[in-house]
Amino acid sequence: MWIEKFQIKKTNKIAALYPITKLWLTAFYILGTLIVSTIRIHKLPLLLLPWFCSLFIFASCSGIRKKFFKSIKKAAFVAIIIFLVQAFIVPGGEVLFRFGILRICSTGLITGTNLSLLILNIAGIFVWLFQTTEYKEISRALEDNGLNYKACFLFLSTMQMIELLGRNSRIILNAQKARGVETEGNVLIRAKAFIPSMVPLVLGAIISSEDRVLTLESKGFDVNCKKTHILNVEKTGNEKWAICIGIGILLFLLIGRIVLWIQ
Amino acid sequence: MSKVKKHSIKNDFSMLALLIIPVAVAVNFVGGQLAVILKLPCYLDAIGTVFGAILCGPWVGATIGLLTNVVTGIANPITFAFAPTSIALGFVTGLLSEKKMFSNIGKIIISLIIMAFVSIIVSAPIIVLVYGGVTGGGPSVVTAMLMATGTNIWASVIGSDGLFNALDRIIAFIITYFIIKVIPDRTLIKFSCGEYYVKES
Repeated sequence: MWIEKFQIKKTNKIAALYPITKLWLTAFYILGTLIVSTIRIHKLPLLLLPWFCSLFIFASCSGIRKKFFKSIKKAAFVAIIIFLVQAFIVPGGEVLFRFGILRICSTGLITGTNLSLLILNIAGIFVWLFQTTEYKEISRALEDNGLNYKACFLFLSTMQMIELLGRNSRIILNAQKARGVETEGNVLIRAKAFIPSMVPLVLGAIISSEDRVLTLESKGFDVNCKKTHILNVEKTGNEKWAICIGIGILLFLLIGRIVLWIQ
Repeated sequence: MSKVKKHSIKNDFSMLALLIIPVAVAVNFVGGQLAVILKLPCYLDAIGTVFGAILCGPWVGATIGLLTNVVTGIANPITFAFAPTSIALGFVTGLLSEKKMFSNIGKIIISLIIMAFVSIIVSAPIIVLVYGGVTGGGPSVVTAMLMATGTNIWASVIGSDGLFNALDRIIAFIITYFIIKVIPDRTLIKFSCGEYYVKES
């Protein structure tokens, strides 16, 4: 059937989990990260490194190794910058290492390691979530679980609008270039090119919104009734297992943490 | 006959507002991309928030702010943490618009100061506590330099980020002003705060 074309089929068992289950797993991982970060070796939360490696293995098992690696780069860049700035610039505590004007102080090293590893882990699980789940699936699952259909429409419509306006902005920029607007040169010249690119883009989008209001109203968007959907998201049956394993790991970490405290 | 207009969440979220929110979020997104293409030294990723909030009020402004960070967070989770800044900016700009604070140049200057001030107050704790002062963007270089000279981390972040924020808000407002100027009156009056910007004839 033609409607089959719109369904999202996944062969990987982890990637095919129900989106809400994946949201729970994300929450468990963040909680786990916070627990692991309190375990310190020489005052540093170094266990977060193997914890992140486990996430990388998890992402590989979900069949998104390359995508994960590509997307985590941005977060890793920020994490490295934070670590370097904290370690080399923030003074405080004893000086652990000195080479010329560069020196590493203990306070900066501890804060830098903690912040950068926390950011890397939390960003990592979100990368896993959004690389294994399409935004259409998330909004559909949220709608099934009680989120207002207008909120889901906003989210889906936004994703489509970004693609549309992104394409239009390139067309407008090229058109403006063709009629002589300079887009290269000093900052002032480049800044001047921004306004003639932005104003037609927004204006066009607003005018077309008026037409879309009519279309939506004529199709009964505001009517309070059961809505039909093209995309269906179904549970695979492995959800309970995934949640149980997630809670199990979280409990193990929590008990381990308490045992370490008592000792 | 003067009539005092009452604003409510339900009135603010009209069908047109529902369709303007995606446009505003996309404008934030594309504005940021254009700033990168044109190699401009600022983010320019709040134009849609300012524009949407001015036309549709505080609640729509806050929704635009939240949705922007959710959408950018999908590509780069680092930006999730800045959702409160965008929400606050959208909300405050909408409130100022409701109070007709964009009607003359004096009020506009006061409004811009308030918008920049709110952005800094909300974003500084996030930058310092979550990211330790640097986020990898343009202001981070200035922050790092200030911190290297021994300046307190809070002062460095507020100083550098405040400067970039103020610049960003001014540019966002100027572009919004140009856009509102060219929107036909028959379209303007359909927005909950649009009638304040109808050209007098």
